[in-house]
Amino acid sequence: MLGEFEYLMLTAAARLGEEAYGAAIRQEIEGATRRRCSIGALYTTLDRLEAKGLVKTWMGEPTPERGGRPKRRVRVTAKGVQAAKTFYNAVTRVSRGVGWEASRIAVRP
Amino acid sequence: MGSESNRGPAMNRFCWWLLDILSRALEPDEREAVRGDFAESGETAGEALRDLLGLVVRRQAALWQDWRPWLTLVGLIVPLGMLLSIVSRVTADQNATYMWLYANNWDWALVKDAGFWHEFAASITFVLLSCLTLVCSSWTAGFVIGSISRRIIPAYGVLFCLMLVLGALFGAPRYLAYLVQFVHRPSSPDQEDPIFALAFYRAMFPLMVQAVLVAVPSLWGMRQGAGVGRFPALLRMVLWSVAISTLTGLAIREAGFLFFLKAYWLQPIWQGWLVRVLRIVVYWPVGYVVANAIWRRWHGNKPAYI
Repeated sequence: MLGEFEYLMLTAAARLGEEAYGAAIRQEIEGATRRRCSIGALYTTLDRLEAKGLVKTWMGEPTPERGGRPKRRVRVTAKGVQAAKTFYNAVTRVSRGVGWEASRIAVRP
Repeated sequence: MGSESNRGPAMNRFCWWLLDILSRALEPDEREAVRGDFAESGETAGEALRDLLGLVVRRQAALWQDWRPWLTLVGLIVPLGMLLSIVSRVTADQNATYMWLYANNWDWALVKDAGFWHEFAASITFVLLSCLTLVCSSWTAGFVIGSISRRIIPAYGVLFCLMLVLGALFGAPRYLAYLVQFVHRPSSPDQEDPIFALAFYRAMFPLMVQAVLVAVPSLWGMRQGAGVGRFPALLRMVLWSVAISTLTGLAIREAGFLFFLKAYWLQPIWQGWLVRVLRIVVYWPVGYVVANAIWRRWHGNKPAYI
């Protein structure tokens, strides 16, 4: 079973697709959670996910906007997609009928 | 004093410089990716430094899940830190006597005396050699610790410095006081009482000696030791053998362990050829650093760990 932050990272990486790399995933998570995401948490979690076989990472080409430094690119593996689905389903099932779930539906625009 | 407008950029430059130093604790690929992320996201130097510190701490902490760093801590960092604290204190106290003699009791009339210069040259030689021995021993200790694992050096460096502080403040004074009691009980007042009645020689000078002649060379040695992995296995074995011989000789000769072991019968051996060789071998870091510098100048390559 994934942890909360692991799920956030997998979701952000899946949403970004080909454009998934450290800084972009961080920005995506900060935008979604409205909380600061530290580089330390990001890269250590990324390593953990890679060790579990849920993502694959590799060093990309250096780019000028990054001062000539490369990106650490990320791709979610099939196993990662499955783990994220399992987590999402579990959260959805366990949330059914609780107060905040009902109010979330009520305030949906 | 600098104006407010000057202080900002200066602080910024300092933070980026610190960030550059700290980022060397990361693996090369990760360092590049993280620094690229900072450049892209436009973080301030302070934010980037805080973020990077968090990452380095997490990376270093993760390495302690293995048993080997704990073994290095217990088997090398604690005993070597304590040993060097003791040797540093002994060196500081010996040199304090000479410093007090010349700095606190200077008399210009002495410079006209030929006998004074003879004695002065002998004193200076003794002080310089004892300082060089301490620097080389500390460098060797750092080298051994650094050669164990390159990735965990920042944590080892912090722990070793912490051990030196504990050794200087608590370990060495207690050990040496006990050694004096064990070896002999002075019945007459100590001749060195006037020197150590001065707070500078009693408290400040040993700490200065420890910081300059032990902590700095040890950290330098750790950095050099981190690059030993690129050497052929045979050369590595030779370097480790020399380093271990040096540290063993230091422990037996300088720290007064012979008294506790009551191994007085070993005295003739320790005054024989073996110890004379060991006294020269202790300066091996000088040869290593010179050879390394020549190698790098000729081959124009930097070690892989930089």
